[in-house]
Amino acid sequence: MKYLFHYKRIGLLRYLSNHEMIRMIERVLRRTDVRFKMTEGFHQRLKLSFGQALPTGVIDRAGLFLLSTDEILDHDFLKAANSVSPPEFEIFKIDKVDEHFELGKSVDGYFFKLIFLKEPEIQDGWKVENKGKIWIVSFFNAFNSHSPKPGEFGQYLTIRNNAIFKD
Amino acid sequence: MKKDSNVLKKLVDILDKVEKPSRYIGNEYNSVKKDAELSMCLIFPDLYDVGMSHFGVKILYDIVNKTDFAKCERAYLPWPDMQKIMIDKGIPLYSYETYTPVKAFDVIGFTLQYEMSYPNVLRALRLGDIPIKSAHRSDEDPIVIAGGPCTFNPTPIEDFVDAFLIGDGEEATTEMLVAIKKGRSRSEKLEFLSKIEGVYVPRYNNKVRKRIISEMKMDWAPVDQIIPYTEIVHDRGVVEIMRGCTNGCRFCQAGMIYRPVRERSATEIYDVSKKIVERTGYEELGLLSLSSADHSQINDTVDLLKKITDTSFSIPSTRANALTVEIAEAIGTIRKSGITIAPEAGTQRLRNVINKGITEDDIFSAAKLAIEKGWKKIKLYFMIGLPTETDEDVKAIGILIDKIKRMGFHEISATIGVFVPKAHTPFQFEAQIMPDEAFRRFKLLNWTRRFAKLNFTDPYKAIIEGVLSRGGKAIGEVVEEAEKQDLIFADWDEMFNPGKWMKIFEDKKIDLQKIMSAKSFKDPFPWDFVDSGISKGFLWSEHLKSIKERLTPDCRDGCTGCGVCQKFNVDNVIQEGIS
Repeated sequence: MKYLFHYKRIGLLRYLSNHEMIRMIERVLRRTDVRFKMTEGFHQRLKLSFGQALPTGVIDRAGLFLLSTDEILDHDFLKAANSVSPPEFEIFKIDKVDEHFELGKSVDGYFFKLIFLKEPEIQDGWKVENKGKIWIVSFFNAFNSHSPKPGEFGQYLTIRNNAIFKD
Repeated sequence: MKKDSNVLKKLVDILDKVEKPSRYIGNEYNSVKKDAELSMCLIFPDLYDVGMSHFGVKILYDIVNKTDFAKCERAYLPWPDMQKIMIDKGIPLYSYETYTPVKAFDVIGFTLQYEMSYPNVLRALRLGDIPIKSAHRSDEDPIVIAGGPCTFNPTPIEDFVDAFLIGDGEEATTEMLVAIKKGRSRSEKLEFLSKIEGVYVPRYNNKVRKRIISEMKMDWAPVDQIIPYTEIVHDRGVVEIMRGCTNGCRFCQAGMIYRPVRERSATEIYDVSKKIVERTGYEELGLLSLSSADHSQINDTVDLLKKITDTSFSIPSTRANALTVEIAEAIGTIRKSGITIAPEAGTQRLRNVINKGITEDDIFSAAKLAIEKGWKKIKLYFMIGLPTETDEDVKAIGILIDKIKRMGFHEISATIGVFVPKAHTPFQFEAQIMPDEAFRRFKLLNWTRRFAKLNFTDPYKAIIEGVLSRGGKAIGEVVEEAEKQDLIFADWDEMFNPGKWMKIFEDKKIDLQKIMSAKSFKDPFPWDFVDSGISKGFLWSEHLKSIKERLTPDCRDGCTGCGVCQKFNVDNVIQEGIS
């Protein structure tokens, strides 16, 4: 069975590199009671496939990865996995998906939000909202296109907010 | 203890600007946040990536956090890029659990694993806004304590540390925290500390005897080990399978100061390993000891550990004999990275001098078995500058490398270090070779570069390590000046500046030749007041035997009279075979 995991990383965990994030998640899953399929070799790794990698420093509310297992992963598993997760990391949804499901084919892209502490210079495709002393910019980024880097536009915070799936 | 929420707020603004920010974020899985009457911060005086790999911190962190009156947090020395930003933005050295400035703790504990980290200790104090010198600290400042193997010669760093714990820390650390809690003033705290067995308080004690635990209790094996986010040097769970070593290699300080040997049983090792895997999710566990192949139940241990699936095991495999290779094979040590053995010297004569206790046959049968079992790469460890070494001994290292390569390895590498005599070993009486001589001897091996990868360690590093190891109180001024001149992370090649170190030695009028020269039994050593349990007489007789190339057997086969067991009323803890 194939499962799609939705997770978020917030706070200081945004400073993890993509590689560090993957290893952290593998260890969370290894701490649960469920046995997953492993790769061969000395360092046996879990067979996971991840959505688009993010630059270090970006808050992620739309993390995705796929995992195959013979076990049934229900809400209890989700709770158990979160109970052995580090602070500021949370798996918030697990969907059972078709065996042929692939992230590259199914994810259209992501909505990003940039938080500015001063009025930003508007770029193409940006929607800007002013809330008192902060400006919130949102825009859509197609899957596997360039993700905004922290501070790239002078923004204070960079958030990958949600994933948009193809119909 | 005052918390400083500013640290966390300021960190958020700067972490985008430093290399590998994950090494500074703390709050890792299994880290402990608790409220307690007394607070301690263990500082490893090196980068997080190194410090998080160190096992001693894991033991003490666990023990202190299990008490009902004290809590333990951690800190590490940030890399220079981070240090600069921290200073610019007014961020003090902080703990990784609650982002509290280290100055706000009741106790600061340093672990001194290698002498080259001494300037790092001073830098950590400076970044923590704690007076560098013990004499300048007030009741408001934390009590600064230190432990680890370097404390067996505390004199070079004693101006900077309030109290040293010499020997095993499992019981003494809690006793020290009780004493600090009880003391009403700084001087009273120090006075109470000075009465604890194994503790040396420079202004209060004239002599000190090391602390010892008679056995390795299960409670002291940490299982909730902290999982770093950063890929650290040894990113794996750790089980200590044995403390101490009975081989009696005459150059080895660990082999002398950690006596007697205390083995954990195979079933305990299995139980601890299983828990660590469950609680950490680690994919690899390292079995820690000074000489794994000597553990009486090593075969049973390996058999039991095979029950733990989806986990790989690693074992330091330095003893050059067939058993080491068999264990590496049985435990599934990775073949890709090669097998490591340590002949230490090129000739049998010199291996007898150092009491290594292995023959050339042992070395060749280990190599032969490694080939048969499918290893294509081999790594060898040697030292030059060992006592009585001649050019023939050095050349023989090359011949040995050549012979082993011809046995059929695709790749062979050899690391050749410069021998540094250490305190409390039979070779504490020996001279250390100077850099010019080391470079001359290295040249005798250059021909082997045609077929082997040679790594020579820097002879200038060896000199500085030698001075910090065998020097006395005057070396404290050198350490202080080194820190001022930014000679921190001296063990890191990219940060090492031998010219500046030599200039400091010159300015401070340190007689290198004198410190490096041979000594007699009657010569006083700066560490004479530290009783490791091994008598100076035994060390001297071992030194004399070395010159005569006479071996001293492994003390598992009968007492060799070093004096530790009698003095502490303990014995080697050897497990019975269970197969």
